[in-house]
Amino acid sequence: MLNKLKNLKITWGSALRYIVGSIVIIYLVVRVLQTAFRDGTYGPDTWLRFLIAGLVIGGIYALIAIGYTLVYGILFMINFAHGEVMMLGAFAGYFVLEAFGSISMPGSSDPNLSLLNAQPVLALVITFLVGAGVSALVGYFLEKIAYRPLRGAPRLIPLISAIGASIFLQNAAQLLFGPQRRQYTNPDLLWRGTGWLIPVGEETVMLTYTGAFSFILSILLMIGLLILVKRTKLGKSMRAVAESKQAAALMGIDVDSVISKTFVISGILAGAAGVMWGIHNGLFNHYVGFLPGIKAFTAAVLGGVGNIPGAMLGGMLLGLLESLGPAILGIDFQLKDVIAFTILILVLIFRPSGLLGEALKEEKV
Amino acid sequence: MFSTVKDGLRTGLITGIIFTFLVLIGFPSVASNIIGDILGNMDSLVEEARMPAGNLVIFIGLIGFIAGLTVMKKNADVSWLSIALGGLAAGLLTGLFIGLVIYLIGTIDNNGVDFRTYLPNLGADQIRYLLFYSTPLSASQTYLLYFTIFGLVGALARKTLSELSIYRDKIDKVMSAFKSQVGSSKIRGLLNNKLVLIGVIVLVGAGLYFLPYVWGSYWNYIMGTVAIYILLGLGLNIIVGYSGQLVLGYVAFFATGAYTFALLTAPTPHDIGLNLWLAVGISILVSVLTGLLLGFPILRLRGDYLAIVTLGFGEIVRILIRSDLLTPLTNGPKGVTNVGQPTLGGRIFSDINYMHLLMLLVLVGLFVAKRLKDSRTGRAWIAIREDQTVAQATGVDTYKYKILALLLGAAFAGLSGALFASRNQFTGPEDFTLMVSVNVLCIVIVGGMGSLPGVILGAFVLKGVPELLRELADYRLLVFGALLVVMMIVRPEGLWPARRKKFKETNIRSVQVKNKPEVEV
Repeated sequence: MLNKLKNLKITWGSALRYIVGSIVIIYLVVRVLQTAFRDGTYGPDTWLRFLIAGLVIGGIYALIAIGYTLVYGILFMINFAHGEVMMLGAFAGYFVLEAFGSISMPGSSDPNLSLLNAQPVLALVITFLVGAGVSALVGYFLEKIAYRPLRGAPRLIPLISAIGASIFLQNAAQLLFGPQRRQYTNPDLLWRGTGWLIPVGEETVMLTYTGAFSFILSILLMIGLLILVKRTKLGKSMRAVAESKQAAALMGIDVDSVISKTFVISGILAGAAGVMWGIHNGLFNHYVGFLPGIKAFTAAVLGGVGNIPGAMLGGMLLGLLESLGPAILGIDFQLKDVIAFTILILVLIFRPSGLLGEALKEEKV
Repeated sequence: MFSTVKDGLRTGLITGIIFTFLVLIGFPSVASNIIGDILGNMDSLVEEARMPAGNLVIFIGLIGFIAGLTVMKKNADVSWLSIALGGLAAGLLTGLFIGLVIYLIGTIDNNGVDFRTYLPNLGADQIRYLLFYSTPLSASQTYLLYFTIFGLVGALARKTLSELSIYRDKIDKVMSAFKSQVGSSKIRGLLNNKLVLIGVIVLVGAGLYFLPYVWGSYWNYIMGTVAIYILLGLGLNIIVGYSGQLVLGYVAFFATGAYTFALLTAPTPHDIGLNLWLAVGISILVSVLTGLLLGFPILRLRGDYLAIVTLGFGEIVRILIRSDLLTPLTNGPKGVTNVGQPTLGGRIFSDINYMHLLMLLVLVGLFVAKRLKDSRTGRAWIAIREDQTVAQATGVDTYKYKILALLLGAAFAGLSGALFASRNQFTGPEDFTLMVSVNVLCIVIVGGMGSLPGVILGAFVLKGVPELLRELADYRLLVFGALLVVMMIVRPEGLWPARRKKFKETNIRSVQVKNKPEVEV
């Protein structure tokens, strides 16, 4: 302990950073105490609503954040186009649901009964499979076309390529499907705005079916991913490649194929997140991947980039902070995007390794 | 022999997918319009007049030709027959693919399905045009025919070119001999003569002075935009090109500059009515202060983190400007109107005066950037860009120099922001989206990181050309994105790369080894 203190170098820059940081933190604590206990602007029902919304969006962020973390852990690059991968998954899911909705149930007496409502479970399963599949394909080709030729190039270059790919995919979607917002047609079973009513005091809070569905599905997917990474041979080779590409290659691991598979896995998760986003929020367009993408990256950094449980934790935390934050701080809800970016900057200043991440070597940061 | 056929089939498949994508985004008719513009046989699709289907054939031919060209790999030594087979395979597969797609689209359309619900660019007019105003079957046969022919022609042309390239060495030799005898040395000698140099400068200056009079206001508008982007590019070039720090939120400084200027000079919401030139100075100062605020905590970060944090910062600035919180200060989403206009002899600046001012500032900016690059500071930046650890080890205070680069870049952005607001007489939060940062970044990268002529070229290519090709406006960002990826793969040093000091032969070898892919499996 004493040694540590002795080694602590204080320069002007760091001193200023610590002072500014402490002021910010003290202010935040005071604000939280004020709004939560003294003001009482929001009743417990509102807080519960915020909490539910935060958990649902947090699950989606976590799924996307895992994609960033997996890729970053292996290639040390930000897959800037990851949000667009999610967006294309949302589009794919939308088209599947539209198709199911337009076909009427064969052999049914009611002509208004579409296949979507006759077989909702089947429809949803296929929607998720197609959404995840399309995103996985996009991820695979993204890596193959935009990133693989740049292996070993200076680090700025793949990042710029990723930005280019992101712009390309976003505009391709806009040109193909038009700029207007589209709305998911959910099966009646999962209709938006329906849910369980939870009585809180005198008010009732609705836990929507779509929200619960998204949350549970995202948790299941995360568990599946953890099993994949910890228990399977592919997971083992992924971890080995993340540790050191050279050593992994010497052990007989096909590094390129592992990288491709990593992109496919992160694509699957992002595609599922995209479909969830559509089912839960309804409206989406070609721009839908941009902000969640950046925020999910924030989540990945918050949890410690390269660390899978960290990404999950970071996603959940970010979702909660975003929905509870404006209320706690007493600021406008239109400023909730600012919260995510501010968190990102604060984390990078004070704990660049994130909550769960180990201190990265300089070349990785 | 069969390897070329295999390559050809692959090329055919890729071309087929790309062409299908182009069909779905409605590009063929736009391309035909442009071809029509060039050939002068233009009929508008909108006026229900039949567009000459010949233009579409030219477009198809072009794509098929390019597909044929790419069948043969560089320096591959293959016979005429196998290359012909490869080209044929590529063309045939592309033709089959597209023929099938067109046939399907045509048949479905004939059955009364409206594609526009899901694919807004595939309207009925478009489809009829794509079918050459005939039946789906005959149209798909046409596609098959033309793609096959042009694929073959392309492959043969490529082979012919490679045959010719044997003579290229000889031509190169003659050319270089010619150059060394007549070209550069004499011109350089002439330029060394002071009188001639002054003459050239006067001529160029006079040309620049009279150009805005000749152009007319439309061109002045476009070139003014280009000039503002050159200034922005010069600023970002200092940050990204010289010191190698990827800043994606450059628009934040642009926005602070524009808003500071607008708020200081506009009648609403504050009515300060400051002297314009003083306001420009303050705008630059505020932008620099913003840079300090941002740079101080985050410039310790490297590469990717820096990019994403600055991107977040750019978005924060935009969100804050339009938020209710700052509306009393910034006028919120409505923006600031009636921004101050500079006057000359009692009259408000005309577009010609603006153009002159912008030209002058670009020249000054170029001079400053050039001097900075050649200075000790510039060398420190380049050292940081090449290898931060080594730079630090050789005694460069990397943190200080990185902040300095950011501040100077911010100053350029503040200046261009003020000019932008003043020229448009308006500034609103939606002028400062992420796309501005991306545009400027593209200018720097496409031109060549760290290269001053590259910035000018990049600004002309990326801001000037799209203005001229109005039909392509919708596709501009798509092309930008693809261009960034392709540039990074094919030519990461940019169109007009910065000249770098040459290493000795031995050093080059060791550097190349270092840059090789880390793992080859």
